[in-house]
Amino acid sequence: MLSIKNLHANVEDQNILKGLNLEVGPGEVHAIMGPNGAGKSTLGYVLSGRDGYEATAGNIDFSGTNLLDLEVEERAQAGLFLAFQYPVEIPGVSNMEFMKESVNVIRKARGEEPLSAAEFLKKAKAAAKQVNLPLDFLKRGVNEGFSGGEKKRNEIMQMILLEPKLCILDESDSGLDVDALQVVANGVNSQRDGKRSFIIITHYQRLLDYIKPDFVHILADGKVAKSGGPELAKEVEKTGYAWLEKAGEKAE
Amino acid sequence: MSEQIDQAIARKYEAGFISDIESDTLPPGLSEDVIRHISAMKEEPEWMLEWRLRAFELWKKMPEPDWAHIGYDLIDYQSISYYSAPKSMKDKPQSLAEVDPELLRTYEKLGIPLHEQEMLAGVAVDAVFDSVSVVTTFRAKLEEAGVIFCPISEAIKKYPELVKKYLGTVVPRADNFFAALNSAVFTDGSFVYIPKGVRSPMELSTYFRINELNTGQFERTLIIAEEGSYVSYLEGCTAPQRDENQLHAAVVELVALDDAEIKYSTVQNWYPGDENGKGGIYNFVTKRGICEKNAKISWTQVETGSAVTWKYPSCILKGDNSVGEFYSVALTRGMQQADTGTKMIHLGKNTKSTIISKGISAGRSSNAYRGLVRMGPNADGARNFTECDSLLIGDQCGAHTFPYIESSNPSAIVEHEATTSKVSDDQLFLCKQRGMDAEKAVSLIVNGFCKEVFKELPMEFAVEAGKLLEISLEGSVG
Amino acid sequence: MSQSWLAQAIARASAVNDWLQPQRKESLALLATQEWPGRRTEAWRYTSLHAFDKLALTSASGDVKQHDAPAVAGLNSLDIVLVDGELQTAIEALQLPNGVRVSSFSNADAQAQEVAHAVFAKVKPAKHLFGLLNDTLAQQGIIIDIAAGAEVQQPIRIVNYVTAGVESHNRILVRLGAGAKAAIIEHGANLSGSDAAAFNTAFAEYLIGDKAQLEHYRLALHGGKVIHIGGSHFQLHNEARLNSTLVGYGSQISRIDADIHHAGEHAFAKFNNIYLLAPSEHFDLHSSIEHAVPNGTTEQNARGIVGDKAVAVFNGRIHIHRYAQKTLAELNNRNLLLTRGARVNTKPELEIYADDVQCAHGATVAEINEEALYYLRSRGLSASQAKVMLSFGFIQELITQMPNHSLADWLLPILHERFVAMEAE
Repeated sequence: MLSIKNLHANVEDQNILKGLNLEVGPGEVHAIMGPNGAGKSTLGYVLSGRDGYEATAGNIDFSGTNLLDLEVEERAQAGLFLAFQYPVEIPGVSNMEFMKESVNVIRKARGEEPLSAAEFLKKAKAAAKQVNLPLDFLKRGVNEGFSGGEKKRNEIMQMILLEPKLCILDESDSGLDVDALQVVANGVNSQRDGKRSFIIITHYQRLLDYIKPDFVHILADGKVAKSGGPELAKEVEKTGYAWLEKAGEKAE
Repeated sequence: MSEQIDQAIARKYEAGFISDIESDTLPPGLSEDVIRHISAMKEEPEWMLEWRLRAFELWKKMPEPDWAHIGYDLIDYQSISYYSAPKSMKDKPQSLAEVDPELLRTYEKLGIPLHEQEMLAGVAVDAVFDSVSVVTTFRAKLEEAGVIFCPISEAIKKYPELVKKYLGTVVPRADNFFAALNSAVFTDGSFVYIPKGVRSPMELSTYFRINELNTGQFERTLIIAEEGSYVSYLEGCTAPQRDENQLHAAVVELVALDDAEIKYSTVQNWYPGDENGKGGIYNFVTKRGICEKNAKISWTQVETGSAVTWKYPSCILKGDNSVGEFYSVALTRGMQQADTGTKMIHLGKNTKSTIISKGISAGRSSNAYRGLVRMGPNADGARNFTECDSLLIGDQCGAHTFPYIESSNPSAIVEHEATTSKVSDDQLFLCKQRGMDAEKAVSLIVNGFCKEVFKELPMEFAVEAGKLLEISLEGSVG
Repeated sequence: MSQSWLAQAIARASAVNDWLQPQRKESLALLATQEWPGRRTEAWRYTSLHAFDKLALTSASGDVKQHDAPAVAGLNSLDIVLVDGELQTAIEALQLPNGVRVSSFSNADAQAQEVAHAVFAKVKPAKHLFGLLNDTLAQQGIIIDIAAGAEVQQPIRIVNYVTAGVESHNRILVRLGAGAKAAIIEHGANLSGSDAAAFNTAFAEYLIGDKAQLEHYRLALHGGKVIHIGGSHFQLHNEARLNSTLVGYGSQISRIDADIHHAGEHAFAKFNNIYLLAPSEHFDLHSSIEHAVPNGTTEQNARGIVGDKAVAVFNGRIHIHRYAQKTLAELNNRNLLLTRGARVNTKPELEIYADDVQCAHGATVAEINEEALYYLRSRGLSASQAKVMLSFGFIQELITQMPNHSLADWLLPILHERFVAMEAE
């Protein structure tokens, strides 16, 4: 489904990703871990096509199309979803209006009929309920005045509504208490259907207690330094990331 | 007690306004003849005289501006004398002992060395000061770098091509009433030329400009920074200056060619008038700079003096990527009135401007910020950020903000913010609880309020400016 | 010059003679001292009145066609319709809620005249040239008197239609007694289509008594070649509350002056302004918030979107008088230019003579937030879709703050349609 080969990417002329490789198959859950500054969030932004995050070499194949050729919205329409670490507030644009528009363009891209207002409302209410957001959040401006946890849950709600092929969660666990963490994890787990894939970017192992990954990758200095199964996350939990430096020294 | 002090100040300055008619001082009045006379006294070339006469023609047709938030008695331009030769030694105070003790007290507080005090107070010692070696060394260093720094009257004779090429190009003669008047009758000022790629080896200060004293009335300054050059220019000083003339109408023109940078700092502390607003300098100044590609002009001003200030140091950001900055502290007290601010005219692409204005009003004074930010239709990606803060001390003063924002480019971004506050009782209480008296506390808070501007001043100037505010605020706190 | 237009208007005004004569005379005397505004007149710096040089209009003929008020679902308002300043509604036949008296200049009884005398030219400052003109030329006007303590649920709407080729002047005078509550809508609209000129002045004055609450709307939806010059002026007494929303299109000239005068302490005013200018329209809003006494609060939010070759002018003044201590006043103006040909001139002003106050203003002219644009695009919206949503959201935020939801629901799609058409140009 997603195949990243030798990806190099720059942010403000600085080389952040330096030859990253990653293969994600349908239905798989991949966790990307690593120390601060390893390029974890950059990977999410490059995949989604944010301005200023420039892929300088390598390629990304997403279900047979070259992702790098697509605009931000075309990637979303192709089924790529990024749950932001810091979702922006958009006063004046209501959550509901925003999501309805978004759901329908993505449906259109998939060749489906747009949802009627009533159908959409039903789905939106169910999704809000699933992530424990009161219904009046649908009427409020996008993320406007939401707490950190509410913003994260709002991202998961959008993910549920948009039914993407590939979900990238950028530190969706940061700043959450245990209850909110569980809500986020349940939201994600409910979307695991054997076809939908996930990339879970996280600094801590904590989230992975709730969302069981199939693979864990440790990102360091813009590359995958080590890959393994869920046991790798446990190892990191115990030893931290200090070993990476040693490994790096050895390599040099 | 404070009344006595005020009386003392008033007396000192009253004396200053009486001028004896000497043989080479023109009688009051303005006419073509007077301008011819000025030009002749300065031994100017014909083109300069023509230039002045044209300005006079323009001036006669112009109305005096009345849009500023200031009020003052109409000036009778025919009652002013437009030329007086420097005072002879015998008319000056012969020593500091003859100078008003109150003035000396202020000098002392500011920590001004004795010989400088003498110069500032107009004591008959300039010949002595002239020979002070620091000045000689200073001139030698500049010459070595190829920097020209001289009185503009000298430049008109020695570098006519440069003067002709740039004079009046940034502030045209017809720009405004006071600029036209200045163009007709200016008597002196500075001329600075920084050659291509040269970084001026030192900060240029009017203080070191050796020309006649008492030329402050209609000063004319022209600074040209050639491609890739840099200069920092300091004007005025923190000490209260004696001046014989009530009306000041200076013009300053800055030309920053590609990649050049000019930093212009002013401390203005002319006599503000007595507690009823009598006397005091009327300061009507036109200052403007033009920036070519990648050039930068930065204006920093600390204005504490004058009865009336009318002053808008501006930048025309003509070249792409050019930068304009304006940092200002304006303090008014007593019956002072200030209407000051800036204009940032964005013409080029990706031009940037920053405006930080701090107004402090005390007593029965009036302090207004007036600014213009204009984004031209071709100023793609231009940006302005403006912050205007006013601090009121007492409930008899006024603080005003009049920003004009004109934009005709959809990709230009303008952000303007203004706030008003007072020195809060909580802040005062905290300072007092830590052992400060009210005056010290206010001075501390005011200095904090002005910090963003002070940090733009050359270091020694910044320290003096802080002290100046402290002294200016004495007696303002109940 | 159009000084001649003014002279001719003054001559016409001199012929008006009715029970408002004493007040009209005073305004006429003031008017005679006025100069026609030019570029150097600060209040008209960015709005040219050259259109008056060749203005050829008639007065209303007296047999204008009957028009219904625009239908707003769920509004259920008490409607009074004026066409070119001529009253179309039989006021005597209106079913008035308790505590409400509505009269016109032509049927005012002694009590209504007393209200008019208390309000006419008393709330509106004399500085407005066209306000003085309206004082002298408005032959028709609506007088609304809300009794002390009356809580009126039904909104009262005065519809001001203008038609092609006609000059008209109309007036609204409102007094809210102590503790009264009411909602009043000034609804201006254009019946003449987009190409024909008309000239209308419409001034409204509101005297809001102690603890009274006024919910107010001014919809200046003229557009086209109409010259619409008007004002809404409010005087707030002790603990009075005002919540006002002004929605304006531009037109050949659309100029509105709003004054909010805190005459009593602890009054509160919220004033939202929205302007949406289609290509080549001109809109000019001058507001002046006067805090004459201590302890008042004002919040003003003005937002505008400016289409191609359109010009928006905003001048928002906050004036804190000496001794008006403990005032809280904030003004925020934000503008969005859609194209290179669009222009905005904004001037927020603070004039402050009291030290213990909290006053601030801000103004921005900006593009759409890049981060928000990326966010919407990452959810599949195209760049242009996202831009429309964000730009419109910018004014939608203020529309949704309107306390009357029926009115907001009616306005949103109308404004949205106007906006989408602007974008498409």
